[in-house]
Amino acid sequence: MLTKFETKSNRVKGLTFHPKRPWILASLHSGVIQLWDYRMGTLIDRFDEHEGPVRGVHFHNSQPLFVSGGDDYKIKVWNYKTHRCLFTLLGHLDYIRTVQFHHENPWIVSASDDQTIRIWNWQSRTCISVLTGHNHYVMCASFHPKEDLVVSASLDQTVRVWDIGSLRKKTVSPADDLMRFTQMNSDLFGGVDAIVKYVLEGHDRGVNWASFHPTLPLIVSGADDRQVKLWRMNETKAWEVDTLRGHMNNVSSVMFHAKQDIIVSNSEDKSIRVWDATKRTGIQTFRREHDRFWILAVHPEINLLAAGHDNGMIVFKLERERPAFALSGDSLFYAKDRFLRYYEYSTQKDSQVIPIRRPGTPSLNQSPRTLSYSPTENAVLICSDLDGGSYELYIIPKDSVGRSDVVQDAKRGTGGSAVFIARNRFAVLEKSTSQVLVKNLKNEVVKKSSLPIPTDAIFYAGTGNLLCRSEDKVVIFDLQQRLVLGELQTPFVRYVVWSNDMESVALLSKHTIIIASKKLVLQCTLHETIRVKSGAWDDNGVFIYTTLNHIKYCLPNGDSGIIRTLDVPIYITKVSGNTIFCLDRDGKNRAITINATEYVFKLALLRKKYDHVMSMIRNSQLCGQAMIAYLQQKGFPEVALHFVEDERIRFNLALESGNISVAVASATQINDKDLWYRLGVEALRQGNSGIVEFAYQQTKNFERLSFLYLITGNLDKLSKLMKIAEVKNNVMGQFHNALYLGDVKERVKILENAGHLPLAYITASVHGLNDIAERLATELGDNVPSLPEGKTPSLLMPPSPVMCGGDWPLLRVMRGIFEGGLESAGRGGAVDEEEDVEGDWGEELDMVDVDGMENRDIEALLNEEENDEEGGWGVLDDLELPPELDTPKASANARTSVFVTPTQGMPVSQIWSQKSSLAAEQAAAGSFDTAMRLLHRQLGIKNFAPLKSMFLDLYSGSHSYLRALSSSPVVPLAIERGWSESSSPNVRGPPALVFDFSQLEEKLKSGYKATTSGKFTEALRLFLSILHTIPLVVVESRREVDEVKELVTLVKEYVLGLKMELKRRETKDDPVRQQELAAYFTHCNLQAPHLRLALLSAMGVCYKAKNLATAYNFAKRLLETNPVESQAKMARQVVQAAERNMTDETKLNYDFRNPFVICGSTYVPIYRGQKDISCPYCTARFVPGQEGNICTVCDLAVIGADASGLLCSPSQVR
Amino acid sequence: MAAGPDHLFNLRNNFYLGAYQTAINNSEIPNLSPEDAVERDCLVFRSYIALGSYQLVISEIDDAAATSLQAVKLLAMYLSSPANKESTISSLKEWLADSTIGNNAILRLIAGIIFMHEEDYNEALKHTHAGGTMDLHALNVQIFIKMNRSDYAEKQLRVMQQYDEDHTLTQLASAWFNLAVGGSKIQEAYLIFQDFSEKYPMTCLILNGKAVSCMQMGNFDEAETLLLEALNKDAKDPETLANLVVCSLHVGKSSSRYLSQLKLSHPGHVLVKRVSSAEDNFERAVQSIA
Repeated sequence: MLTKFETKSNRVKGLTFHPKRPWILASLHSGVIQLWDYRMGTLIDRFDEHEGPVRGVHFHNSQPLFVSGGDDYKIKVWNYKTHRCLFTLLGHLDYIRTVQFHHENPWIVSASDDQTIRIWNWQSRTCISVLTGHNHYVMCASFHPKEDLVVSASLDQTVRVWDIGSLRKKTVSPADDLMRFTQMNSDLFGGVDAIVKYVLEGHDRGVNWASFHPTLPLIVSGADDRQVKLWRMNETKAWEVDTLRGHMNNVSSVMFHAKQDIIVSNSEDKSIRVWDATKRTGIQTFRREHDRFWILAVHPEINLLAAGHDNGMIVFKLERERPAFALSGDSLFYAKDRFLRYYEYSTQKDSQVIPIRRPGTPSLNQSPRTLSYSPTENAVLICSDLDGGSYELYIIPKDSVGRSDVVQDAKRGTGGSAVFIARNRFAVLEKSTSQVLVKNLKNEVVKKSSLPIPTDAIFYAGTGNLLCRSEDKVVIFDLQQRLVLGELQTPFVRYVVWSNDMESVALLSKHTIIIASKKLVLQCTLHETIRVKSGAWDDNGVFIYTTLNHIKYCLPNGDSGIIRTLDVPIYITKVSGNTIFCLDRDGKNRAITINATEYVFKLALLRKKYDHVMSMIRNSQLCGQAMIAYLQQKGFPEVALHFVEDERIRFNLALESGNISVAVASATQINDKDLWYRLGVEALRQGNSGIVEFAYQQTKNFERLSFLYLITGNLDKLSKLMKIAEVKNNVMGQFHNALYLGDVKERVKILENAGHLPLAYITASVHGLNDIAERLATELGDNVPSLPEGKTPSLLMPPSPVMCGGDWPLLRVMRGIFEGGLESAGRGGAVDEEEDVEGDWGEELDMVDVDGMENRDIEALLNEEENDEEGGWGVLDDLELPPELDTPKASANARTSVFVTPTQGMPVSQIWSQKSSLAAEQAAAGSFDTAMRLLHRQLGIKNFAPLKSMFLDLYSGSHSYLRALSSSPVVPLAIERGWSESSSPNVRGPPALVFDFSQLEEKLKSGYKATTSGKFTEALRLFLSILHTIPLVVVESRREVDEVKELVTLVKEYVLGLKMELKRRETKDDPVRQQELAAYFTHCNLQAPHLRLALLSAMGVCYKAKNLATAYNFAKRLLETNPVESQAKMARQVVQAAERNMTDETKLNYDFRNPFVICGSTYVPIYRGQKDISCPYCTARFVPGQEGNICTVCDLAVIGADASGLLCSPSQVR
Repeated sequence: MAAGPDHLFNLRNNFYLGAYQTAINNSEIPNLSPEDAVERDCLVFRSYIALGSYQLVISEIDDAAATSLQAVKLLAMYLSSPANKESTISSLKEWLADSTIGNNAILRLIAGIIFMHEEDYNEALKHTHAGGTMDLHALNVQIFIKMNRSDYAEKQLRVMQQYDEDHTLTQLASAWFNLAVGGSKIQEAYLIFQDFSEKYPMTCLILNGKAVSCMQMGNFDEAETLLLEALNKDAKDPETLANLVVCSLHVGKSSSRYLSQLKLSHPGHVLVKRVSSAEDNFERAVQSIA
């Protein structure tokens, strides 16, 4: 049982769940009805109008209503929104036990100790039917969820099913009710509206509860005979199916679970029992110490139950609903029902992988709790609470997805929790000893390690590390070093979520989220008031999590906020950009698109990526008081400024960020004295005297203004102010200004005008304005004040300001970042988002058991040597390894006794050499002489000099080099050809060769290209190298052998042709020979474009030498080859010219009518019928005189030598 | 099984995986027992040897140092002056014959390494075959691989696995073994190096291990990328250069630059020797065929 919420109160007699909101009503023995929010755990409201216990309470399924019935014989209908009892239904003559709304009609059914059941219309507020028949208290009555039936239970030991079909017919309109009201009395006794359909007898004590199955024709009842009975009914009858025994006292309430095939009952024996409805056996019992249970309620939609007892109530669920899942790259493995399923995020494809549980096993809370996956081995560990904590290891067979229904025989074991800690290792917690067993995929213990703290669960923490959890802390423990890498005090951690880069970890507790680094250094802590459900990291290091009713984010600095609200809890599995992938409580994968703008923005701000911030400000609709407050609080008022329309807020933000110009604009808009004042203060602080002046002017603050003019030395304005003061008759101001100006005359005048004649006189006389002084003296007459003696007066002149006017220079640091950037519209908003690198987990290994390793080949070769050594080696076998490895002394004796070094095995290269009859493989094996002999025999090759570098390359390329122990000799490893996943070890393949056929094809292409562009030397080099490589090329199939042979002749033609062409260029002084060579070139077997070029050149040479007839012939041949227009034009011109004069100036050794081949060395035609001799390798032809020389075309073989032919494929040997 | 924390774990790991400088830099570990301190010093000096700083090791270790360290010094002397190796070997033999120190695991290990250099596997195994430490067993695996006796190598590996399957040396030795027997086992070797690369900082040794596995599987393109990465880390690492030569040959690129670099920096490397002996071999073969 998973308790979700508990209350303490008076005895709870009635309970009802709100169908939509997380509310529950509890009616108490004290007469109070409480409305609780079980999610937040708060008491929302209480309704206190009943006198005495309230036993029945029920929510309406759509309206804001509930009904209650109590021992005051009253049925009250309440509106919980207005917190008012709407009306009271009177009629029952004794305690009311239960009340219930009908699911669609405006009816209420009530059961009472007056032995009746009544059905009321709560719209007309009348009783529409009284069901009589029970002859004792009716303890419970309820409507059928779909049909027109009522079931009731009574202390008369019966359960009755009533047919109320006729009632529905009669109450089509409310008007009927009124009419029927008069008939009430007649109905009371023997009415026909509701008739007893079945009377279920079987209990031998009073029945306390009976309820319908939500979909099937079943009834379950519980009675004082301590039994729960299951009844079935059909159209005509109803009968007892089975009895569930177990309760030790009166069964108070019993009902079917809304979602699962189980029955839940509670009793005065202080227990709640859960029964399997099909097998009719008890599954689980929950007991309380002191509290008798009185009432049960089942939530109609979600998997929740509630039970009321002597001292309150509990809201609980029977089974955990979180599906166990594990994430791996782009895919999610999760357990649902009996199957392991697989979900691919990119395609959103969902498929079943393997069955993981046999059907029909008892299933309460034993479903998988956690799941761990090893991608390389394709193995899954599933942990459950079965047998007090156990795990099952499944290896997912290749391509089994979605098929077989057969449960694999999983490897099992017991243990608190089990997780993969490496590709092929998993750790299992042994709680009792606080030890961890490291096991391999065969479920064998590889290592035992005791943990540093008493641990009750372990989690993955990077390869080879474990995160161990105890009640109040977590530690990360390195199993190999046996070192604690990090430790953190935490509340009880439920889930651990690592960031994608494994740098940060989120530890989820019931109400807390702790973000820490990979060494468990605390980064921030978040507290939630409601349960934290799940979480995942997005690619930018923001932690996205869910609570019961929100999706929220948490930035690395601990700032959090709500992304959106949720109707039902979800379990986040992955966050990818704007999409949140999650599993819901039905185990369905869902993708939720969220608006990530807010947290991405805040993150950018936090990371000081201001360009990103700016582009977001420009492009998105970010706003809201919360955002502004956030920006202000984080010290970015200047950023907030960009979101605000309201002038007053703009002004405040502008002042805060010191942005005077914006502030002025806003102040002008609002024109409020106070704002001007504040602007003035800020402007003064910044030394922006222009704005200060403006602000003072706006507020008509003349004193400040004149002082400002004084210190900025603005005397003109000061005198203007003086005038204003005069106009305004502000004597004090006038005097001030005069004083500031040092204008004595004015001062005297002011004093005089104000009637302060003595002061005026003194002023005048002190400053030497004698004429005025005299005038005043006369006016004063006798009252002339005396001037102080012995003092020299001086004129009080205002000091000249250091700097007149102008603003102070400002350092504008922030300006560059924000304002500057924001003003330059459209600049660089592109911020590189790091791409999610998907883990390439490679292919599964086809593991060959080491025992089954095939040693055949080598062993066969070594058999003889081995025989006599078997005995000696037995000793080493016996030695094995002494358990105390660290004390070599123990083994010292053995060491000195009998030890015979085994003979060396055969190097791989020797095996190659023995096995192969291909020259290339022999060369790779280093047996150059064998290779040469082979080449000599097969191709008549005698000149090996051109092949030297290839031999060396083949040989050097045949081994790679592995550094094993430091400072010890490096280990050369033979590289084998044709490796595949399924190659058996220890069976040697042929050597990998550095030359292959495809390389030659590449070379051929570049040879063609060089030829086309006329780089003949380069082309010749390429073709020759092809010709030199071919003897050392190995191909696999017969077909390729033919291709190689074709290539030889193809390349030979080019080599011959190019050699002649180069020769022709050398023999500039011999025009005849030049023409001949050009002519022969056209008879080499060339590609069409090259042939055209050859023809063109031959044509040109002959034409120039005035051998028009021959040139004509070339031109004709050229035209036949579909040349490009420029070539064709030239050819046609030659043809025209030649047609006029079909003669040859010089005689050439060239008869194109007579077929011929060209001698590869003397470059003369060998006409058909003439004797020739050929190169055994490249098949070039020679005049007989060349026999025994090295072939001048391939430069390898001896002309005319005997040879068996090119052997370049193992397929030829087989 | 020891329950206390293994202080030398990181140091040892760094050394085995070829992060020699890191090993040296992080060798200041407080609160070591005397035995651990000697082991630590051995590892540090062996790291210096691996980096080629022979003289430093020779001058740092004085005659009063522990036997293990003396043995390490011997190795430095052997590697630093090939000319005087006779005397080094004779003193090595002398020590080995001494019953009081002859059993020292490090001494035996060094003996194994030196005799392996001498290609005297018989003599090497005489001292190492009994094993006793993970290092010795790993060396045995290597010797047997060198002798092309993978059957014996496997037995040694089994012993190591029995003792601690997850030990870095066990994993390394299984990788060597897997590479030596070839076939489908190569994938396992690759995965072992892959695991290392995920768990620990990349070193030339790990990269080369991966690259060699790739080459053995015929995947020369990936091998080249890995090797170039290794070359970035250490432009003079002999194995990187040697493997690059081989790899370039297979992908059809010129290998001559890497080869000359290798010849310059490590004239004694196997590949260099192989190439020069192959040249002679070629000439001889030409003579014989003519």
